[in-house]
Amino acid sequence: MGTLRPAAAVVCLFVGFVHAADCPFTTGSGESALRQARPRLQIAQRLSTLEAAFARRAVMPAAAPAIPRRNVIDVEIFNTLAAHNVTPAALSTDQEFVRRIYLDLTGRIPSPDDVRNFLANGSPGRRDDLIDRLIYSPEFEDRWIMWLGDLLQNASAATNVNRRVGGRDAFYNWIKGSVVANKSLKEIAHEAIAATGNSFDVRTGAANFAVSATTPMGPVQDMYDTMLVRTATAFMGLAYYDCLLCHGGRGHLDQISLWGSRTTRGEAQQMAAFFSRMRIRRDAAAQGEPLYNSYNVTNAPSGTYDLNTNYGNRPNRTPLGNVSNLTPQYRLGGTPAAGANWREAFAAEMTADPMFARNIVNRLWKHFFGLALVDPVDTLDPARLDPSNPPPEPWTLQATHPELLEQLARELTRGGFNLREIVRTITASSAYQLSSRYSGEWKYSSVPLFARHYPRRLEAEEVADAISKATGVMGNYNIGWANPVSWAMQLPETGVPRGAVGNFLDSFFRGNRDTRPRSQSGSILQQLNLMNDTFVLNRIRVSASPTLQAVSRLAGDGAAVDEMFLLFLSRYPDDYERGQAMEYLRKAASPAARNAAIEDLAWACVNKVDFLFSY
Amino acid sequence: MQDRYGIDWNGYAGAPFWRKPSINRRVFFRHLGAALGGYFLMPGRPMERVACAAVSPKATAKNCIFILLAGAPSHVDTFDLKEGPWTPASFEPETYGGVRFPRGLLPTLAGQMESLALVRSVRSWAAVHSLAQTWVQIGRNPASAMARISPHVGSVASLELRPHDADPVLPVFVSLNPSGGNPENGYLPPEHAPFYVSPAGTGLANTSHRDGATRLSTRYNLLLELDGDLRGSAPLGAGPAEMASWNAAARRLMYNPDVDRVFTFPVEERTRYGGTAFGNACITARNLLRARLGTRFIQITLGSWDHHVNIYAPNGGVNALGRQLDLGLGTLLADLKADGLLDETLIVAMGEFGRTVGNLNGQNGRDHFLQMSALFAGARIRGGRALGSTDDNGAMTAESGWHRDRDIRPEDIEATIYSALGIDWTTVRHDDPLGRGFEYVTFADRDLFGPVHELWG
Repeated sequence: MGTLRPAAAVVCLFVGFVHAADCPFTTGSGESALRQARPRLQIAQRLSTLEAAFARRAVMPAAAPAIPRRNVIDVEIFNTLAAHNVTPAALSTDQEFVRRIYLDLTGRIPSPDDVRNFLANGSPGRRDDLIDRLIYSPEFEDRWIMWLGDLLQNASAATNVNRRVGGRDAFYNWIKGSVVANKSLKEIAHEAIAATGNSFDVRTGAANFAVSATTPMGPVQDMYDTMLVRTATAFMGLAYYDCLLCHGGRGHLDQISLWGSRTTRGEAQQMAAFFSRMRIRRDAAAQGEPLYNSYNVTNAPSGTYDLNTNYGNRPNRTPLGNVSNLTPQYRLGGTPAAGANWREAFAAEMTADPMFARNIVNRLWKHFFGLALVDPVDTLDPARLDPSNPPPEPWTLQATHPELLEQLARELTRGGFNLREIVRTITASSAYQLSSRYSGEWKYSSVPLFARHYPRRLEAEEVADAISKATGVMGNYNIGWANPVSWAMQLPETGVPRGAVGNFLDSFFRGNRDTRPRSQSGSILQQLNLMNDTFVLNRIRVSASPTLQAVSRLAGDGAAVDEMFLLFLSRYPDDYERGQAMEYLRKAASPAARNAAIEDLAWACVNKVDFLFSY
Repeated sequence: MQDRYGIDWNGYAGAPFWRKPSINRRVFFRHLGAALGGYFLMPGRPMERVACAAVSPKATAKNCIFILLAGAPSHVDTFDLKEGPWTPASFEPETYGGVRFPRGLLPTLAGQMESLALVRSVRSWAAVHSLAQTWVQIGRNPASAMARISPHVGSVASLELRPHDADPVLPVFVSLNPSGGNPENGYLPPEHAPFYVSPAGTGLANTSHRDGATRLSTRYNLLLELDGDLRGSAPLGAGPAEMASWNAAARRLMYNPDVDRVFTFPVEERTRYGGTAFGNACITARNLLRARLGTRFIQITLGSWDHHVNIYAPNGGVNALGRQLDLGLGTLLADLKADGLLDETLIVAMGEFGRTVGNLNGQNGRDHFLQMSALFAGARIRGGRALGSTDDNGAMTAESGWHRDRDIRPEDIEATIYSALGIDWTTVRHDDPLGRGFEYVTFADRDLFGPVHELWG
């Protein structure tokens, strides 16, 4: 006889402050439904905002031309749509597509020339060509270094550990080198999990991932546990290990994770046991020396996961029967060979685990489609993902498109975990290239079907960089390095720069890679900043902006207006907008007044609704 | 007497809820079924909110100032003073009508003792900072099913107190000197989110346009022309477009002399409040209440009280933070009393838990501990006293001091705030995304938690 026991408080008395706020522990039913509802509601809200902005441009073909099925994504998405009797939106126009693909792949808006060239390109393969070009561009590197930095939570200071600027930089440089060298995601994960060395040393920057396992106020087992939780969350979407390392899943996770409900604390600890020879020690360097406050990550030659704790961040660890020292066993059964390096062994097991590939494609899907196939992305349920082995009643497969998740995961594995290749597959699909506009009646229940493209708010760095790029007035952001960076997307962490620019970025919810996740919410502060902040006002001055100076030199108001719209919004104005804007420029009586009018127009473009969205 | 789940709760008074009886699956599903069935049987549209029991909120407060002493202050050095060989002489303990108080540490507050009720029977559920801090701000277990969509107490207050007929100039819920990890509006609409300000007395940032007000209005008109009539009203009819509402709210703050008066104050005033960020927040809170621009719930965060090491350092530890709290809150109380605003404003100051009692730890500090205290003032509560008491060293509640005769929990304090503001704390809203029902105070329908009305007695 099962009971529903509200014992959460007991557990959380012991949960470490490192993860306590994130503890997804629950006995309540329907938590998954609840957590799924939020991103879907947000999408509905964004759709209505954009709908309003574009209502005037209502020319949508009632019957869209046939949409080509370009790869496995399209087969799954369009078959599911047909099964639900939902008509997909038309394919995006080239103008829609060009802004979207630049933003999603590089985090920056296209230049007017980029837009014009693309629109003038008559080649049938122009979209594929553009994708190819962008995924090998330096801007792509910046964007995906940021993505990995978020995933691996690179920050100089966090609740549980201070990596310092030295550690942050070494970590950043390791990530950067990995993306630039097109290292496979498998290699990146493997290095992060198994790295040893000094945390400030650029050659061993990967060791900073292990540094984030530091767990104050507890025995060393707490550190092994944190390492497993961070690893499993980032690379496998299995945040529930945070629960399982305090108590077995039965009686706790029954309502939300079939896998979790079947996993015991001992099994979770055997996973953590792979890290039981890991040691994180502060370097002995004295104040003033380069390695002062750095950490050294090493592997001890021996050691086990000892069940002998009576304090700390998790409930006491006591012998299981007569077993008081756990040795590693992977969740699928594997154990390290005699004499093997246990962290290397874990990395090998994990990157061969289908959960690794599933997690990567699910997170990428979230990036490109706004809603993950399993959302939130850290709640994957290994027992409910394989369509060829469905879970028993009353459980159902977890993903909105189970077969698609599996196929994509296989595609990623087949392609050697190459980030650029899987990104190409996703963005080349017709499903990704659908319009965000929808001509039929839109139902909220269609949100998980991906019948149209979902608009998203630009992330903080994208907002800043879009304003910089449109005006040509670059940033000069102090990050505690010798060399400041000029693009927000090149910042090594989301805590810098501080000061006015930092406040501007923070108002767009870039998070702190620790306790505050990124968010795509709107706020009053964002509106105040877009209207009045010097970040905007300094950049839209003709005297400061080379692009606006060029606009000012253009002959004819029509050309000037077109250029302004291309600069800021990556599209041509519609007839109504062009008429209004030309009228505004025409009223300027002198060259100085015309420049002022250009500035006003630039301000209006930054504050237009569609500036803030990728759609 | 059994409740509708067939459980007799009388034997469990005072027990923590994990020791409470649990319901078995059959009972759970029977009631779930009844609830679902009942939902569809309800006439007309389901009600948005249901009050479960007939309760009478105190309704003595129009406003609330909630001061989060983040990091957990040592209760035995502040609001529940326990003297011992560890107590620094500079604390100068004194008795005020039976209340022992460290006058030397908190002299300004001591001067306001007649307004203060020190609640000493408070106990936290968890001695983990981020968890317990969130707990006191949302009034429920952050690891519970509803927690991820749960709004801050101030957001619920905003929902209840925000005028329905007109948009206020300033948001109902303002959060001063936020620490970064504060919970926000949860599933409630974004206008109930805390409005974050770290005031310096120099006005509200970006509420004027550097290129001039005239230029701004020209630019804004151009923007409206470009967007046609789309910006003001969304044609979809599904409520105003999100961005337009944010923008409208932002514009109400700009070039508004009333707003400028709230966020601008002279150096002398800052000095009077201690010349600290916390002091600035207290001035701003007072100005917000004076201005009556819509703000009704103000949170001020003051941290960090996490004094594991050298708690009595002459210019650090509890001395440094005590000084900030004392000058800021003490002066605020005096000013509000002089204005007559104190009677309509509930003030609560508390941490997320307490600190170890007795002798200091090996590093001359105090570690995490569940027993704690809270300070209440205003809203016509009876001051000049302590409510509840602890044992000799402050480790456990000795006398609870209220009718439930058990430790006072964050849920009870949440209910007290709602009651003071005239909000029915047993309200259950049925507009949550889960459709499960969002209770303002958890288990209020079973009368498990409720307000400490003894504060008024």
